[in-house]
Amino acid sequence: MLTQETMRRFNLLLLVASSVIWSVPANAATRPHYGGTVRVAMHETPQSLDPLSLAQVGVPNISRLLFDTLVVLDDRGFAQPALATTWQAEPGNQRWRLTLRSGVSFNDGANLEPTAVAASLRAANPDWKVLPVSDMIIVQTGEPHPNLPAELALPRNGIVHGNPQVSGTGPFAVSQYVAGKHLSLVANDQYWGGRPFVDSMEIDFGQTGQDQMTSLDLGRIDLAEVAPENIRRARAEGHTVQSSSPAELMALAFAMPPRNDEEIHLRNALALSIDMPAINNVVLQGGGEATGALLPNWLSGYGFLFARVQNTEFARTERTLGKQSGPLVLAYDSQDLVARTVAERVMLNARDAGITVQLTTNGHGDMALTRVPLPSLNTQTALTGVALALQLPMPSFGNGSANDLYSAEKTLLQSHRVIPLGYLRSGVALQPGIRNFNMSPDGAWQMSNVWLGSDKP
Amino acid sequence: MSFRRRLLLLFALTVLVSVAAVTGIVSAMARRAFDRANDERTAALVSQFRREFTRRGDDVRRRVQAASASAAAGQIAVAAAQSSPDYSSFLDAAQTLAEAQRLDFLEFADDRGTIISSAQWPAKFGYQERLAKTTLPAYAFLRDEETPSGTVLGLFAVHAISAGDHKVYAIGGTRLDRTFLSSLDLPAGMRVMLYPNLAGPIAPERLLTTGDPIANPQALAQLVQKVHITDHDESAVIHWDSGNDETVNAFPLMGANDKTLAILLVGSSRQIYTELRSEIRSAALFASGAGLLLAVLLSSIAAVRVTKPVEELANAAREVAAGNLDAQVTAHTNDELGVLADAFNRMTRDLIEHRERLVQAERVAAWRELARRLAHELKNPLFPLQLTVENLMRSREQSPQDFEDTFRESASTLLSEIANLKSIINRFSEFSKMPQPHLQEVLLRDLVAGVIHVYEAQFEKMKIRNETEFTDSQPVSADPDLLHRAISNLVLNAIDAMPEGGKLVLRTSRNGNTAIIEVGDTGTGLTSEECARLFTPYYTSKSHGTGLGLAIVQSIVSDHGGRISVKSQPGKGTTFIIELPVARQILADGTSA
Repeated sequence: MLTQETMRRFNLLLLVASSVIWSVPANAATRPHYGGTVRVAMHETPQSLDPLSLAQVGVPNISRLLFDTLVVLDDRGFAQPALATTWQAEPGNQRWRLTLRSGVSFNDGANLEPTAVAASLRAANPDWKVLPVSDMIIVQTGEPHPNLPAELALPRNGIVHGNPQVSGTGPFAVSQYVAGKHLSLVANDQYWGGRPFVDSMEIDFGQTGQDQMTSLDLGRIDLAEVAPENIRRARAEGHTVQSSSPAELMALAFAMPPRNDEEIHLRNALALSIDMPAINNVVLQGGGEATGALLPNWLSGYGFLFARVQNTEFARTERTLGKQSGPLVLAYDSQDLVARTVAERVMLNARDAGITVQLTTNGHGDMALTRVPLPSLNTQTALTGVALALQLPMPSFGNGSANDLYSAEKTLLQSHRVIPLGYLRSGVALQPGIRNFNMSPDGAWQMSNVWLGSDKP
Repeated sequence: MSFRRRLLLLFALTVLVSVAAVTGIVSAMARRAFDRANDERTAALVSQFRREFTRRGDDVRRRVQAASASAAAGQIAVAAAQSSPDYSSFLDAAQTLAEAQRLDFLEFADDRGTIISSAQWPAKFGYQERLAKTTLPAYAFLRDEETPSGTVLGLFAVHAISAGDHKVYAIGGTRLDRTFLSSLDLPAGMRVMLYPNLAGPIAPERLLTTGDPIANPQALAQLVQKVHITDHDESAVIHWDSGNDETVNAFPLMGANDKTLAILLVGSSRQIYTELRSEIRSAALFASGAGLLLAVLLSSIAAVRVTKPVEELANAAREVAAGNLDAQVTAHTNDELGVLADAFNRMTRDLIEHRERLVQAERVAAWRELARRLAHELKNPLFPLQLTVENLMRSREQSPQDFEDTFRESASTLLSEIANLKSIINRFSEFSKMPQPHLQEVLLRDLVAGVIHVYEAQFEKMKIRNETEFTDSQPVSADPDLLHRAISNLVLNAIDAMPEGGKLVLRTSRNGNTAIIEVGDTGTGLTSEECARLFTPYYTSKSHGTGLGLAIVQSIVSDHGGRISVKSQPGKGTTFIIELPVARQILADGTSA
């Protein structure tokens, strides 16, 4: 494993080499260099910088800037070393040993010690027993946990130090924070993975999509979130847009399991009545992918097997077998304009099949239009996270084979507690001067290698 | 009821009827005037509503035209002209244009009726717009529009956009809601309500108003239902829970398909009329009260003026009836009542004169009768006296030898006649000195039985059959000797009336506090003239007697506080009836009158 010192030397050598190579007639736009501030606007309004809170409010990207996890997942979902350099499970997968990276310190100056790591993990996972042993920690779970490394890679398991003023080992450190409004970050010069190119980041919270795009157009920010339904338009308008794979599940989640076969037929009728391709093409402006599965096809590989096609005739037939005593109340987030349009379309489609759907924004309904970000690039962890978010029974993966995963997802779908509608992409619009920004398939921002080009406004 | 009260009642009734009639007439006129004014105001308001409707319709039409002329609408038209149009990028177009044009509704639909973009229901893309397939009106029209939150009423206009061989329709409108109603200039006491006549049962809670929500919209349900059925103007007076009444005129508002899509309700408060009616009633009540008081006052004065002479006349008449012929009334006026008073006074004066003349005549007649009776009574013994004395003188002259005998016989005759004279004089003297009765408890049946016993031998001799009937067993207060004498006189009269025998009936009975003694015979009877004079002293229908018997009976009965009467028919007999007061208090006290 590479040490922090080795990486820093490597980075310096890279810079020197680059300077020599491009010293005379060089294209400054392709030459990474340090310095500058990246200004970001975000829609969410986090009230705390604790990784658990950040994960809960849907801003894991902030968490990744400040906190590291013991393990990270690559784009294929495989665990890679981070704060832990090695890990090993004891037979039964209930007890794991993880060796910590040495020489790492928190932004508050404290060294990364096993006791601090154990305390952090215990706080995030009260069911676990986490013991510091020498330069290792031992994680012991109540049940077999073959995917523990993937779970440790979740942003919520970012390692923190200090309470209540938390500090991480991430590439950036907090210089100023106004809860829910603004966050100023400075580069962590001592970052074990190498200092970020940019000196600082300024992040404004609570900005609407339209405000963000306006700020981007006016050159006030360098990076704006782009909602899936606006990705096509942003590109059409000439913005530099990067988007993730379809990674955010949109689904109708029922509050209660079906009580009888008639209710199952009614839910089947509703599922068959929904014209999701039309929703994706028009409402989401192609910013998603229709699906009948809980995991996106690009991740599971079998998602197409659950594909569902709208068939109003079949839906009506199912409807005749079902029984509806009152309108099905569909709850949606009043702040989410897309959700509103999707909900209204569902209502229209359902009406075509003879099902009465009534909309509500008070949060209490027979079903809810729910959006669940892909929790992990690891399939089992992702499916478990989706089930948890939708309050479905916990899936069982058997020996962890692809068939077992398929069976687990099928079982969840056959519970008739959820009607998957589609997976949505996430996107960001960038100023032309933002270089080397990458987005993971699940929408995670890769900020540590970002640098600012000379054409930055 | 007295004449004065009748007069007062008549006056009061006249006032009340007059006031009621005036009140009714004024109320009816006020109501007619109010209704007329209300109709005029309602018509003006409806006219204003229609003008505002037209003005807003023109405004909507201009806005829809403006939206149709926008670049976004042009892009839609270009897309629609394609053989395989892709409308996905126009999802928000209608919303953006609707906001820009301040339209509540805006939809773009192609000539196949497919909704391209909808502001009011963005998710409705791809669905059918029914209006695009019909003949489109050139003017603004009323329409019920479906939205996610329900069907709402709006004022719509349509504009067609050419898209090559095809057309795109922009269908836009504004809500017909409170703001629309608020723009109307409402006269005081009036309000406008709008009922969206949407699908489903009548639901008055959907009623749109300009002011506060109506507390009980159900009160309008019947009127709304009526217009909904008839599609014609209707009106009704609504009685609200607050106690206020309101005249509500309902006018159906038709859509482009001639279907009643809304009902305009113009309410006109009847408070002014109610207050006016209340004031009229109050005034009527006041007038009635004052009129009644005035009527009482005037009628009292009038009644006093009119009835006082009449009452004086009535009182005087009562006095005259009681025997006071000196009663006089004062003639206050020279009208009919004055003449009547004069006539009354003249009548009483005539009555006094007539009574005095009658008394004088009766007195003279009584004296004549007394003189005749006395002459008659005295003449009868005098003639034998004269004859006897003449016989003595003749005997002394013609046959002195027999004079002694003749003298003894004549002396005897003279003594007898002189005794007869004395007897006559005694009876007259006795009549003049009738004693006062000494009252005591007397059983009439015993008294009558005693009288019968005295005359039993005479009854037998005269072949008179006597019958008695005593139903009274209670004692009366009477002097038994005087009463015995009176009954004896009546029995003797009856015996005299039946010289050839007959039947004598004696009966005692009780009628309340009156004891009755009846003495009847089957004798010759009396004429009515004889009956009238029967109790006059010295009057007799018999060839003998002094004529004092029945006068004495009447005197005795009168002294007992009673009265005597006679019933008789000539040839059939006579019955005397004595009625005596029981006078129990006198019996109880043991005192005598």
